[in-house]
Amino acid sequence: MRIMVLKKRDLILILFFLLVGIFLIFLFNYPQQTGIAIVEQNGAEICRFDLQKQNRTEEINVGDKYNVRLKIEPGAISFIHSDCPDQICVKTGKISKPGQAAVCLPAKISVKITGNKKTHDGYTG
Amino acid sequence: MKKNKNTILLLSSILLVIVILITAVWMKIGKKSPSYECTNFAMGTYIQQTAYGKNGEKAAQEAAKKIGELENLISWRINDSDINKINSAAGSEWKTINPKTTQLLKTSLDVAKKSKGAFDPTILPITSMWDFGGDNQHVPSKTDINNFIKYVDYNNLRINENNSSASLKLHYMGLDLGAIGKGAACQEAVSAYKEKGADYGIVAVGGSIGIYGSKPDGSLWNIAVRNPKKGENQELSIGTIEIDSGFVSTSGTYEKEFTENGVTYHHLLNPKTGYPVNNGLVSVTVVCDNGALSDALSTACFVLGKEEGVKLLNEYNAEGIFIDNNNKIFVTEKLKNHFRISDSQYSILNNGVK
Repeated sequence: MRIMVLKKRDLILILFFLLVGIFLIFLFNYPQQTGIAIVEQNGAEICRFDLQKQNRTEEINVGDKYNVRLKIEPGAISFIHSDCPDQICVKTGKISKPGQAAVCLPAKISVKITGNKKTHDGYTG
Repeated sequence: MKKNKNTILLLSSILLVIVILITAVWMKIGKKSPSYECTNFAMGTYIQQTAYGKNGEKAAQEAAKKIGELENLISWRINDSDINKINSAAGSEWKTINPKTTQLLKTSLDVAKKSKGAFDPTILPITSMWDFGGDNQHVPSKTDINNFIKYVDYNNLRINENNSSASLKLHYMGLDLGAIGKGAACQEAVSAYKEKGADYGIVAVGGSIGIYGSKPDGSLWNIAVRNPKKGENQELSIGTIEIDSGFVSTSGTYEKEFTENGVTYHHLLNPKTGYPVNNGLVSVTVVCDNGALSDALSTACFVLGKEEGVKLLNEYNAEGIFIDNNNKIFVTEKLKNHFRISDSQYSILNNGVK
């Protein structure tokens, strides 16, 4: 039996197409940020969390006179406490998808999720 | 000779691959116009904007400025606003106001008349007693409501377009444009996008949405309708509306409510009784080509209920979605093909009126 031997040129060719393939995969997958949560007060950013990389559940204290606390968990974020009278922020529950937002109006604290794969252009209601 | 031919073939195929790659990169980058997102608080609510194109940032900033200016004209809470001036002079004199305020009052009166008072811009004496979302929210006494409900009557709001002035006929009367202002703000933003040359954009003022232009890939704008129910395991939206232009507003019980002695009271008050409307509806969404109208109509339709509400929408060539507390959704005829339910707890009522 004859053993097939790859020529040097063939190797280069295979390597080249492999690289092209890898490059294309990166091109069409990156940067697909699917869940960066941005916490803002009065429209100015306080902090941000990459919900995709979040691997444990934690609570953070945002403060303000309403003692706002947020709960960050893998893939989702929510208001867990606020001393505000309406509690709309807490009742909104967890948000997880790009384009979603939760807001504490009295404290002017908002959390929005950004990413270029928005499921909706806007929310009414 | 043969070897040379092979090399040429190889080189040209590599070249071809490189050309394809460059095209792919170019398409990937080229099809997206730059976008500018900003959020801020005004008109007592949260404002989210996304404006696209090289003028996107300028356009969004202009929109925020225009919304601020509108608030300074029409908020009854702001000293020296047009509405505050009219309220302070209620029962005494006419006040000269900005033509923008006059136009908005004119639209308010039109919806008030056509809805037979289901929407009433003179509802302040009642809304200020309930103070939904405020530090003093509570159920007012029956006596207080009986004493003040007679000052809620749009027939006693007079406007004069010729010299841009307005007056309230009786002392104790007061204007509250809370049910039309957010939609009007969306309109201001859309006109700013146009003026400053944004390619396309979307603004959300609270639950009201304004759309400007169309997306370059030709897809429709998709607007999620919020789930009236809230809780851990609830989806945030019940479905999606797809439209190419216009304005969308929603009035829902869940927006502002409080519980006192075991009873939950929501902010959508009947101007005739002074109490929250209790007709089985939990939210009404209206789609229309005018922002102020979509906002006022969503409140009017909520108060009127489905049957009368649909008739009112017809008069304005507007479309709507009515959701009741049995998870049933009624969608007006023209909107039916543009609305999709995503939450299986809800179902569409087909045997409705119209």
